[in-house]
Amino acid sequence: MRRPWQMRKTGKSWCWLAVALCVLAVSGWMGGHAVAAGPAGSELMGKLEGPEVVTDTAKFPKSFKEAPQLAELVKAGKLPPVQERVSQDPLVIKPVHEIGKYGGTWRRGFSGPADFWNGYRCCGHDKILFWDYTGNKIAPNVAKGWEISDNGRTFTVFLRKGMKWSDGHPFTADDFVFWYEDIHQNNDLVPAKTPVLSINGKPGKMEKVDDTTIRFIFEDPYFAFVDVLAGATHLGGHTYQGRELMGGFAPRHYLQQYHPKYAGKEAVDKLVKAAGYDNWVSFLKFKNDWAFNPELPTVAAWKTTSPINSPTWILERNPYFYMVDPAGNQLPYIGKVIMTVAENLEVLNLRAIAGEYDFQARHIDISKLPVFLENRAKGNYKVYLDPADSGCDACMFLNQTYEADTEIGKWLQNRDFRIALSLGIDREQLNEAFWLGVGTPGSQVLSESSPYNPGPEYRTMHSTYDPAKANQLLDSIGLTKKDAEGYRVRTDGKGRLRIEIMTVGGQFLQFTQIAEMIREQWRKIGIQADVSEIERSLAIKRAGANENQAHLWQNDGTEHFFTFPTHLFPYALEGLGGANIGPLWAQWFRSNGARGKEPAPPMQKLIELWKKAFGAPEEERIKLGKEIWRIAVEEQWVIGTVGLSPAAQGVRIVSNNMGNNPARQYNSPDGMTPATSRPETFFFKK
Amino acid sequence: MAEEAVLHGVETPEAHGTTDAGERVYVASQWQLMWWRFRKHHLAMAAGIVVVCFYLVALCADFLATTDPELSDAKRSLMPPQRLYWFDGWSLRPHVYAVKGARDPKTFKRVYQVDPTQKIPVHVFAHGFPYKLFGLIPMDRHLLGVGAGHEAAQTLFILGTDVQGRDLWSRLLYATRISVSIGLVGVALSLFLGVLLGGMSGFYGGWVDTLIQRLIEILRSIPTIPLWMGLAAALPRDWSILQMYFAITIIISLLGWTELARVVRGRFLALREEDFVVAARLAGCSQMRIIFVHMVPSFMSHIIAATTLALPAMIISETSLSFLGLGLRPPAVSWGVLLQQAQNVQTVAISPWLMLPAIPVIIAVLAFNFLGDGLRDAADPYGY
Amino acid sequence: MLAYILRRLLIAIGTVWVISVVSFAIIQLPPGDYVTSYIAQLMSTGSLVTQEEAENLRAQYGLDQPIYVQYAKWVWLVLQGNFGVSMEWKRPVTEVIGDRLLLTVLLALTAVIFTWILAIPIGIYSAVRQYSVGDYVFTCMGFIGLAIPNFLLALVIMYLAFAYFGASVGGLFSTEYMDAPWSLARVQDLLKHLWIPAIILSTAGSAHLIRILRANLLDELRKPYVVTARAKGLSELRAILKYPVRVALNPFISTVGYTLPYLVSGSIIVSIVLSLPTVGPLLLKALLAQDMFLAGTIVLLLGVMTVIGTLISDILLIWVDPRIRLEE
Repeated sequence: MRRPWQMRKTGKSWCWLAVALCVLAVSGWMGGHAVAAGPAGSELMGKLEGPEVVTDTAKFPKSFKEAPQLAELVKAGKLPPVQERVSQDPLVIKPVHEIGKYGGTWRRGFSGPADFWNGYRCCGHDKILFWDYTGNKIAPNVAKGWEISDNGRTFTVFLRKGMKWSDGHPFTADDFVFWYEDIHQNNDLVPAKTPVLSINGKPGKMEKVDDTTIRFIFEDPYFAFVDVLAGATHLGGHTYQGRELMGGFAPRHYLQQYHPKYAGKEAVDKLVKAAGYDNWVSFLKFKNDWAFNPELPTVAAWKTTSPINSPTWILERNPYFYMVDPAGNQLPYIGKVIMTVAENLEVLNLRAIAGEYDFQARHIDISKLPVFLENRAKGNYKVYLDPADSGCDACMFLNQTYEADTEIGKWLQNRDFRIALSLGIDREQLNEAFWLGVGTPGSQVLSESSPYNPGPEYRTMHSTYDPAKANQLLDSIGLTKKDAEGYRVRTDGKGRLRIEIMTVGGQFLQFTQIAEMIREQWRKIGIQADVSEIERSLAIKRAGANENQAHLWQNDGTEHFFTFPTHLFPYALEGLGGANIGPLWAQWFRSNGARGKEPAPPMQKLIELWKKAFGAPEEERIKLGKEIWRIAVEEQWVIGTVGLSPAAQGVRIVSNNMGNNPARQYNSPDGMTPATSRPETFFFKK
Repeated sequence: MAEEAVLHGVETPEAHGTTDAGERVYVASQWQLMWWRFRKHHLAMAAGIVVVCFYLVALCADFLATTDPELSDAKRSLMPPQRLYWFDGWSLRPHVYAVKGARDPKTFKRVYQVDPTQKIPVHVFAHGFPYKLFGLIPMDRHLLGVGAGHEAAQTLFILGTDVQGRDLWSRLLYATRISVSIGLVGVALSLFLGVLLGGMSGFYGGWVDTLIQRLIEILRSIPTIPLWMGLAAALPRDWSILQMYFAITIIISLLGWTELARVVRGRFLALREEDFVVAARLAGCSQMRIIFVHMVPSFMSHIIAATTLALPAMIISETSLSFLGLGLRPPAVSWGVLLQQAQNVQTVAISPWLMLPAIPVIIAVLAFNFLGDGLRDAADPYGY
Repeated sequence: MLAYILRRLLIAIGTVWVISVVSFAIIQLPPGDYVTSYIAQLMSTGSLVTQEEAENLRAQYGLDQPIYVQYAKWVWLVLQGNFGVSMEWKRPVTEVIGDRLLLTVLLALTAVIFTWILAIPIGIYSAVRQYSVGDYVFTCMGFIGLAIPNFLLALVIMYLAFAYFGASVGGLFSTEYMDAPWSLARVQDLLKHLWIPAIILSTAGSAHLIRILRANLLDELRKPYVVTARAKGLSELRAILKYPVRVALNPFISTVGYTLPYLVSGSIIVSIVLSLPTVGPLLLKALLAQDMFLAGTIVLLLGVMTVIGTLISDILLIWVDPRIRLEE
């Protein structure tokens, strides 16, 4: 049998030779260039689809059914009957393809106790509101509905009557009040209040209207607040925010035994000491952690029974889950989720190749795509590609406040210099080598399917491969002198102009190798780049200390840039990615102008528009968003290379035995993919 | 040969000087004795030649390479090794065929097809990319290259290419240069420290000995991998990659001198009581003279052997460090870096030629080991 | 003899203390601390962590105090037998390590056994048939394991085992047995997974042993008593195996104490590649995340094991070989 790496030789007859020549001629043109009809891999990218919330009350089921194991418990008298468990206002979800069957165990892989996002994404979806499968519409989730009034100052959120926690206790507005008053407002527990509960610097408040209604009241209009309730923010639900005592609600009946206000300081101290903790705050955080504490009640579909810090993280069905399908079956269909640890990601990927997982997109490496495709029959799975909506998986962030070397700093702040650098990057080459041709070359702007995209011309603006124009630009700004080897020299006489690109190793994408290719490409425009790969924590520290010149990182999350602004402008003081746009600007932003350096006027405008957008109603917010992206692309503080690709958790391996899997899902950290595909509706056919 | 027969059984009558061979054994210098003994160990001889070849390759890496190792082109990404044809019909005309490739939209693999009509002649001592031989003489001739009108960078890929389309053969040569030479610094340092501290320990004895022995014990108890990791993360950021690696090799050697020190100490302890040392002392020689003129030469051979055996440990450490992401990292190129880039499932499954750098590693480690063994055996001509 | 042991014990305690300082220093060397990596994680998922929150977290974990205070607190806890709580695992360090210690020891022991099985015959053969072709061939085979980079070999074997034998990938247990209680079936499953790392580790370790055995045996074989045994009519096999080999093996026995820590640290890379639930990968992750108590305890443990191993080896050596006693 021919091995893939052996050459295929053509035959001897002239006929074959002619055919071969034709094929070669065509493939010679095609090789390295994107296929004209859509990006490569389009057969693996299906149409976006997903489950829908049923709003027509006429279609609501009248009677309910449950999983056989739960039915047994009901017969034994250990559980109340199903109609009492799903609440009086259950969430009715129409699965994407069909009504499913109960049973089965979902096998997944995770990489250790630091991989809690793995569980949040697949199985812990108790956000108050939700992004639907398109990623652009807000749907109900824990809350049944919401109302905006008083010109965006008041948000009334309606809960479900009769909804219960996983241990049977009622889930009411009191759990929200408990969180807000006894946790969030408690300065020992949460000394730094969450910024999402304020608008224009003025904090809002939460109050109970009745057992199933709560209200958020702000001083200024805050129309974007619903996005906050639906996204992965501090108010994004108890499972994933509980560990840092955020989330919006918390089980009062369970946590009160650990809270001095209810249990008394001495009792709490005794418990804390007995468990080996030395302060009650970290103890409470541990107790409120869905992944670590199997006793913690939850309203998500699955509950941890074997915690994340054991070799297998096991989750089991929540018998009081409030979601049903149109036939009245209580969801989830799948009763058990078992995640086995694979500390080495090569092993995790190889296990996926071997078919040891039923649905896995996390940690799957796109460069192994050919191996996945080769083993589909052996492993009994299908491969799907879910492109993300963010513009670049490897963006070059150029530090606008770099001070260590004034000449370099000067050039980085020069817009024409940045544009020249951008025009000197051959994105098609990068796409072919590292994204296997499935990415979209272009700028950092978010996907055309988002309402905030300012127009298709912004994908290619300043982001084509044009070394002639780049050379022209560089000559025009004064970098005309070159040394013996063709590299441009600095204008201050200190020799060759060198830009240092900082990368972090060990990520899902080979940033260092991408930087190496860019370095080779920049030779043609006379710019010397030095690539240095450093430790993650060192990279973060250097970002905060304003020591990086250029940095290669992803800009995921910018498709929902109101709730995920980190990579759009310098929002965080230190970190990877966006923090490197201008650490001193970040200081200015965080301190409201007291420290740091004032940003350049376009950036100031961008930040102003961003702040303003929170308070603007949707139509106006969309206009502001488009303007924000126009500025970002025109200024090129962040140079995009290749994006809109499945490289970041978009290569989905799904067992052939699993049903209700969408052909394509919305891939976003804010939507906590696959949450938007409602994994509660996944089921096993056999 | 007669000398070896004589050496083997020292008690035989011939050895007492009654034959020519025996006479030669008695007046032969220490180094000659070593050489005769070494020659018997065929494996060590072969290993010695291999080692010399490695250093020649390191010296002439530019000449042996066919393209600039940094040139990348995604259109030739992951190309398998090309077949070099020596004969065109009946005449000796080495050539390769032009290759074109594209990504198969069904399997997502890069598939390459040979174009049998385009023969690209391969010349020996051909023109290629410019370089400086030994860093001084500008040249542009290489061992292998392609005929006029073609560019080696686009046509000749003896060992295939990596994911960026860079020629593996050229990268491997430059990697060899770095990998075999960078260990020398660390080993030299280990040698110096080992002889110095081991010698002091063995010669002076007493509290000096105890102190140094305890130091050795502490150093040997520290687990190396955590130490490497901590040190690698703590080194200043603005050093170039090569500088950082020198620093790490120095740190490794600061831990590695202990083995050599123990050997030296043992030898010194044994030699201290030897007649010729006592005689030298009684004759009034200064301590320095006793040590350097009389004692050191007698265990020089052991030192050489131990040093030669330290080199393969350096090579293995380098590859392990690169695997952990601590040693040399891209854009530098060394065996460890090449292996680290091959350390993934898709290489083993689809592009296995990227694992070829393991072969020079294996050969180098084996060669150094056998050479060192042979030297050590030879270092004791009257022993076995 | 007793005085010697006592003296070595005292020195051993001093060495262990120095190791504790060094371990702690190693953990602290990289910039930042556990909170830095934790915050990086949170931020990469969109949560914004403000400066005040970061400082809070640091105070919570006790990371805001100067290094010597942290060290002193840690040593005080260790002396009380409390090794702290791992920040990443949120479990006591003893539990986290304890889970893996048994498997680590099992792996090390299996590797040792395989090593001896491989090294002893090759060593004997190459000493008896010195400079023959067989000597060269077998020595090559014995050294190849040392020469092949372990991590690459582990990956290749793991992939081939999956591709051609359908073996489950990596780890020491299949999914069903990972958390299950011990049973015969679980032991069988363990053995099915254990052979890959054991073989890789043993081929690497055998070279050293072959070399020593060969050298010792060569020395012994020329001694007069061997000539006597042959002259007295003993068969060649008995003449070699019964006396010289046993004497040549003496040093091995005394190196047993040193083998365990050597193997534990030597198996780190293979364990990482194969994702084995042993101490090696645990240490690597702890160091990368700067999980202070976990990393510090493991490093300290390795150091202590080495010291104890060396002590045992030295004592055994003195006990077994009176010549060395005189030298001391």
